[in-house]
Amino acid sequence: MVAVQYYLLLSGAIFCIGLFGILTRRNALFFLMSVELMLNAANINLVAFSFQYGNLTGQVFSLFITALAAAEVAVGIGIILVLYRNFGDVDVTKATTLRW
Amino acid sequence: MSVAEASTTAFAFEVAPAIAVLPLASFVIALFAGKYFPKKGALAGVTATGGSLLLSLWVMLTVAGGAYYNEEIYTLVSTPESFDLHFGVLLDPLSALMLVIVSLVSFLVHVFSLGYMNDEGERGLPRYYAGLGLFSFSMLAFVFADNLFMSFVFFELVGLCSWLLIGHWYREDAPPSAAKKAFLVTRFGDYFFLIGVVAVFATFGTATFAGSESFPVLAEEALTDGGAGGELSTFGLGAQTWFTVLGFLILGGVIGKSAQFPLHTWLPDAMEGPTPVSALIHAATMVAAGVYLVARMYGFYALSPTALAVIAFVGGFTALFAASMAVVKRDVKQVLAYSTISQYGYMMLGLGAGGYVAAVFHLMTHAFFKALLFLGAGAVIIAMHHRQDMWEMGGLREKLPVTYYTFLAGSLALAGIVPFAGFWSKDEVLYEALVHGLTDPLLLVAYLMGLIAVFFTGFYTFRMVLLTFHGEPRTHTARNPHLPGWNVKFPLVVLGILATVIGLTNMTPVAEATGLEIEFLHTWLEHGIEGLNSEHYGELLETVAGYSAAELSPLLAAALSLALALGGAGLAYSLYSGDRPDRHTDRLGDARTLLMNNYYQDEYQVWIAETFGTGVARLSDRFDQSIVDGAVNGVSSVSLFSGGRIRRIQTGIVSNYATLLTLGLVALLLVVGLTGGWFL
Repeated sequence: MVAVQYYLLLSGAIFCIGLFGILTRRNALFFLMSVELMLNAANINLVAFSFQYGNLTGQVFSLFITALAAAEVAVGIGIILVLYRNFGDVDVTKATTLRW
Repeated sequence: MSVAEASTTAFAFEVAPAIAVLPLASFVIALFAGKYFPKKGALAGVTATGGSLLLSLWVMLTVAGGAYYNEEIYTLVSTPESFDLHFGVLLDPLSALMLVIVSLVSFLVHVFSLGYMNDEGERGLPRYYAGLGLFSFSMLAFVFADNLFMSFVFFELVGLCSWLLIGHWYREDAPPSAAKKAFLVTRFGDYFFLIGVVAVFATFGTATFAGSESFPVLAEEALTDGGAGGELSTFGLGAQTWFTVLGFLILGGVIGKSAQFPLHTWLPDAMEGPTPVSALIHAATMVAAGVYLVARMYGFYALSPTALAVIAFVGGFTALFAASMAVVKRDVKQVLAYSTISQYGYMMLGLGAGGYVAAVFHLMTHAFFKALLFLGAGAVIIAMHHRQDMWEMGGLREKLPVTYYTFLAGSLALAGIVPFAGFWSKDEVLYEALVHGLTDPLLLVAYLMGLIAVFFTGFYTFRMVLLTFHGEPRTHTARNPHLPGWNVKFPLVVLGILATVIGLTNMTPVAEATGLEIEFLHTWLEHGIEGLNSEHYGELLETVAGYSAAELSPLLAAALSLALALGGAGLAYSLYSGDRPDRHTDRLGDARTLLMNNYYQDEYQVWIAETFGTGVARLSDRFDQSIVDGAVNGVSSVSLFSGGRIRRIQTGIVSNYATLLTLGLVALLLVVGLTGGWFL
């Protein structure tokens, strides 16, 4: 059996990759993908602890999070479509009209 | 408390608040529905004050039966640890007497207004009758107030109503200005009264007039028992000194309302109001309120010989001062205005000299004869088509017999000619001042001033009567006067009879001479709630204030003042009785100019107001503009500037927000970790 630390290291790494993507990328689609990465990093955590303690609640939660991520993607894609329609691009740094 | 037990049996006391509430109802009706009524609200006022009069008489009869009433009816603020602010009803011989006087005069003034306002086709009648109703309400509630706080509230309401009514003809120039002056001058005095009320609360923790926990009783205990004084906070002063200070503060309001020197200047200007209002203000409501307040808390003033001496001196001085100005006036209402100031001076003299009963007696008789004189003057003014200059009148005696004879009765009462009302009461005031003055030089000076004023009173009263009613008519209007109707004559006749006979209720010199028990007012005021009657006040004056009365027959003093009054009247008769009297006062030269200008009282008060008032106002303005506004503007400009800078971090770029969010989270984790000891 793989020790739980390795799962945590994996999930931490994936989370950081997702965060890095959000902080550096300009393309809105990459944003969406990075957010998916971060959500799934959390999922790995939940499943790993669920496995560790023999309690299924964590796995149920991860199912919910997957469903939530699907919904979030639908909303996100919608936003990106509108972004493209308004600015002719999916570069998030171009959409700066919503400030003071 | 036996008082409360006795009161539960008397139904009259249960309905006593209605005495004040009825005029309040007439105020509401006249204000909102007056214009739909045939007499524009007058009928509501007449009914309401008539009802008040009947209820007051009933209360008086109940009080005469030996029952008294002292109950809280509505608590405004109640704090268990310190004090409570409440409205209550205190019915004892003094307030019952005053209720009858106020409601009677108010009733007659309402009736008279039918003739003076409605029949003369005045405008704004609903407003006028609403004002009268509110005025009566305020005064009646003031009279049965059971504590100083409630007194203050209604004292102020009375002032407000006088402002409303004096400025009734607001389209002309003079009345609004006179109304403002009356309001501001009395407010100036009330300012001290307000501080006095707060100080009474701070000292005694209560402001009730009657009962074992009332402030006069607490003050008395502090002075007589000695030990109890330690519980009261007297702000580092001796108990008696502090009580004197409190007395002076409250006296400020009294001097303003009762038009005593130096705050009397509003009253002659208040003549700009309609004449029935003048009658109401002078006889029963506004001006009487001040004197009544001193009488109401006489148990407190009786503890301070200094306050009493000042009251007596101010009163005596005002009596003489105002009487001298009345001598030269041309306007019939001005003469009466100064006579009012002078007569209230007598009441203050009586109170200050220890003559509580005498002062209340004079308050009562004056209410009747001064209401009579003002209403009589109102009848003359109707007859003269609203001309008030006495030099345009003359010879009205034949045309207006009812007015003449009632006015004459009032004048005889005012001048103090036996056996009319004013003689008995003024005489008793002067007698009290004399017997106490023989042991106290300050009181003696006050007495002498009052005595000299008697001569002036006789003179100006009969100058007024002779110029108005005697001789040949001097103008066309005086030859063809407008004859008044029943609603003018009825109040005059009622008051004329009262002014003639009311003095017989308390004939001290006759009682002294014959040994009969006919001093009814003395007997009346000797009863009452414990600690709130003339007997108790007499003891206080002797034991605490150290007053002592010399043995003197009242007959002697009476003869002296009667001789002076007759002398004044005789002088007036010899000067003005001809068919075409000369303007004798013109020969006074500079003195007349001085008197016509009221000793330049207005001028110096305006000068004080302009010099000091404007200076203080300018300083306040500078403080307001620079410091207060500066602070506010500074705060706003700092916010504006820093906001303008800080908003730059809002770039609108999502990545930057994400970065800040992440950095914030990391920082938060670090802080929590460091303080929580995760890294140790």
